[in-house]
Amino acid sequence: MTLHLDDDELVACVACGLCLPHCPTYRVTGLEIASPRGRIAAMRSVQYDDAPIDAAFVGAMEECVQCRGCEAACPSGVAFGHLMEETRAVLHDTPGARPRLGQRAVEWLGYRIVLPNRVLLRMLTWLIWLAQRLGLVPGRFGLPKLAARDLTIRLDSDPDPEAFLFTGCVMDAWQRAVHRSALAVMRSTGARVAPSPNGGATCCGGLHTHSGRLDEARALARRVIASMPGDVDIVVDSAGCGAAMKDYGRLLGTVESEAFSARVSDFSEWVVERGLPELRTTGRSVVIQDPCHLRHVQHAQGPVHQALALAYDISTTADDGLCCGAGGAYAVYQLQLAAAIRTRKAEAIRNASPMATATVLVASANPGCAMHLGAVAGLDVRHPAELIEEALP
Amino acid sequence: MCFPRSTEEVAAAVRIAALHDRAFVVRGSGTGLAGGATPLADPLVIVMTQMNRILDIDPVEQVAWVEPGVLNLDLSRAVAPLGLHYAPDPSSQHACSIGGNVATNAGGPHCLASGVTSAHVRALEVVLADGSIADLGGLIPDAPGYDLRGVFVGSEGTMGIATAIAVHLTSNPPAVRTLLLDFTSVEAAAAAVSGIIASGILPAALEMMDAQITRAVEDFVGAGFPRDAAAVLLVELDGLPAGVAADVAAVERVGLAEGARTVRVAADDTERELLWKGRKSAFGAIARIAPDYYLHDAVVPRSRLVEVLHRVYEIAAEQRLTVMNVFHAGDGNLHPLIVFDAREPGIWPRVHDAGDAILRACVDAGGVLSGEHGIGIEKRDFMPLIFNPDDLDAQAKVRDSFDPSGRANPDKVLPAGSRCGEAQRIPEGAWI
Ligand SMILES: Cc1cc2nc3c(=O)[nH]c(=O)nc-3n(C[C@H](O)[C@H](O)[C@H](O)COP(=O)(O)OP(=O)(O)OC[C@H]3O[C@@H](n4cnc5c(N)ncnc54)[C@H](O)[C@@H]3O)c2cc1C
Ligand code: SF4
Ligand code: SF4
Repeated sequence: MTLHLDDDELVACVACGLCLPHCPTYRVTGLEIASPRGRIAAMRSVQYDDAPIDAAFVGAMEECVQCRGCEAACPSGVAFGHLMEETRAVLHDTPGARPRLGQRAVEWLGYRIVLPNRVLLRMLTWLIWLAQRLGLVPGRFGLPKLAARDLTIRLDSDPDPEAFLFTGCVMDAWQRAVHRSALAVMRSTGARVAPSPNGGATCCGGLHTHSGRLDEARALARRVIASMPGDVDIVVDSAGCGAAMKDYGRLLGTVESEAFSARVSDFSEWVVERGLPELRTTGRSVVIQDPCHLRHVQHAQGPVHQALALAYDISTTADDGLCCGAGGAYAVYQLQLAAAIRTRKAEAIRNASPMATATVLVASANPGCAMHLGAVAGLDVRHPAELIEEALP
Repeated sequence: MCFPRSTEEVAAAVRIAALHDRAFVVRGSGTGLAGGATPLADPLVIVMTQMNRILDIDPVEQVAWVEPGVLNLDLSRAVAPLGLHYAPDPSSQHACSIGGNVATNAGGPHCLASGVTSAHVRALEVVLADGSIADLGGLIPDAPGYDLRGVFVGSEGTMGIATAIAVHLTSNPPAVRTLLLDFTSVEAAAAAVSGIIASGILPAALEMMDAQITRAVEDFVGAGFPRDAAAVLLVELDGLPAGVAADVAAVERVGLAEGARTVRVAADDTERELLWKGRKSAFGAIARIAPDYYLHDAVVPRSRLVEVLHRVYEIAAEQRLTVMNVFHAGDGNLHPLIVFDAREPGIWPRVHDAGDAILRACVDAGGVLSGEHGIGIEKRDFMPLIFNPDDLDAQAKVRDSFDPSGRANPDKVLPAGSRCGEAQRIPEGAWI
């Protein structure tokens, strides 16, 4: 059995262990097999020593949040994210490694039918809203409380826009208020802006890449690219989607996809680059949580700090941007690990807060992290766009 | 394999191992570079990663009690709000455990002035090989009697398991400056090292990197290390602001006199940290050049640094290998790294021969085998190079007095035959 991993990438790890403390699953378990070094060693034994792809191997791979904290910490430049994506892709195609039929059916529905389909997603959202109103959704599902007011928000387009705000799938259905704030802040730089035409054809495919569904991810990427031809800037206010879209060049390997990726920026990156108007000082303090896909993957967390510092007393967690455990669908699959990682993160956030207030205001540039952390009592998690909008003159 | 959460659990695990006459090996974060935590012949592996609580911090006495699995940098970060830090800072400090540091008597760039781990450990709670629990040392320095704490520090798991450690915390210096000097020859850099020390300055850290490693590091951190330098020196000075300013000027003077091309003084903490991140990533960054490395850790007298360095380059050239040097120049602690691709057929014997030759060259120049990484299995068989049979026997007796059963991390540190009896015992049935 082989994983078809790139030899040079796989041998690049010198087993120094410098990545260990930056790995959330190692931090909460202390287990080598739950660490980047352990996972690479396991990949090597499958690829080189004929170790079987058994439940233990699959478990070790699935427990990885794919936060890529290890990649940012690794001085040897091990491309861990890529190794893990490829491994997941192989697992996805390996009959013995697949989950049971029921789960596969649900995944198929989710990844193939719901995420790429706006209408369906919105219908489902309203169904969830209704179920929440009727008290049918247990709190342990960790779903955010949906408000009808937010679900009906309209996003206005300026004529002849200079930039599109990519609206995406789940975020478009659940977090329109963030999109509205993002558009308002983008306009405050003097630019003409609009939500992505036809929703940018919805899902970016990031979640698909993570779970090894590379063919589906590629099809979605092509759709997104086709929906926004030309050279208008593409602004993304979800760190996860932004990371995926900046990586289309590698995913598809075409000139066109590379050109598309080059047009993509994170929301804060773009507004800081364009120049924000003078903001009002709010006098409030906010702890900034750097989403992994912004910090470790896009390396673009700086502008969030820059922008928020104009209006807030900012502070940061002293954990080198350790993951919060949200990881796209991770929080759904790995309930216990995700919760343990979150507890650790919440503590780091509270320690970073200059005052011991009952609620700590937190800024997170990724909707997944915001929902995951938002479920912790005492954390009020907002998107930087909302916080900046509040401080607009 | 087991993951104890308390001293009692460690003791229980050790007793169970004793009942079954099984050896045991302790493991911290597994960053060790001498194979000390490598299990040989199926022992019980006791992993300390879950004993990772900071038990107590006394800011007045400047002492912290920690469990062994606490990571080195986590401790410094936890006490940072008190204006304190834990001084020994191995380059692996993000990842290595205090227990592992104690067991290897780890050093780090900032140990030049303040001493290695042993100087910062006051007391230890240890589980011995029979499962009993002992306290070594005390919070008051220089307690009367034998310094058993000192014997245990650096014992690499062969005398028992540290389960709680009282470490000394150091006050943050009021002023710190970091300088980067760049040279067009290794000789000039080495001369500057001697010059700096001779001028009466004891820098907090004094590190050297050669051309290849500097480039690899720069590729990772992008801190502005000169890619075309033959060698760079990283010098850190700390103390009271006025003294530090004078030292900075002096180091600059010496450096320029010895031929430094540029002297850069880090403007702020961010720049300082970036420079240090570069130095501390050196070992990891080598995979950018080749995927495998073989590393030694010998210490040579500073006066013979240049000569030994040349010999190291020569040896590598003879074996057609690439060698890079990154080291604690201030105390002559070399880290020659042979980098290679293990997939290349027939490369291992060359690497080993070069490693042996380098080590012998260091010893010939009056050096010792290991500055800080320990002996483990890797350097075990070189011990007779610097110790005669009587020395080794004495060491074996010390070890036996801690662990008469020989089940604590056997076959590490001391080569087979260290005990006089062992070497001379005539096998049964050999009477003819
Ligand atoms: C990139 C890199 C840079 C490094 N830089 C330095 C440096 O600058 N200076 C330096 O000194 N070292 C350095 N090292 C080596 C290594 O980090 C140190 O030796 C460190 O002290 C090992 O700690 P660990 O927790 O990883 O221990 P491990 O590797 O797990 O174990 C090391 C030894 O300690 C024993 N041990 C571990 N825990 C205990 C315990 N609780 N009780 C008794 N014995 C125990 C083990 O049995 C083993 O013999 C570096 C390593 C790497 C990979
Ligand atoms: S992934 Fe990188 S940091 Fe982690 S052990 Fe391997 S080489 Fe070291
Ligand atoms: S991606 Fe994140 S969870 Fe996965 S091994 Fe790396 S640090 Fe750990």
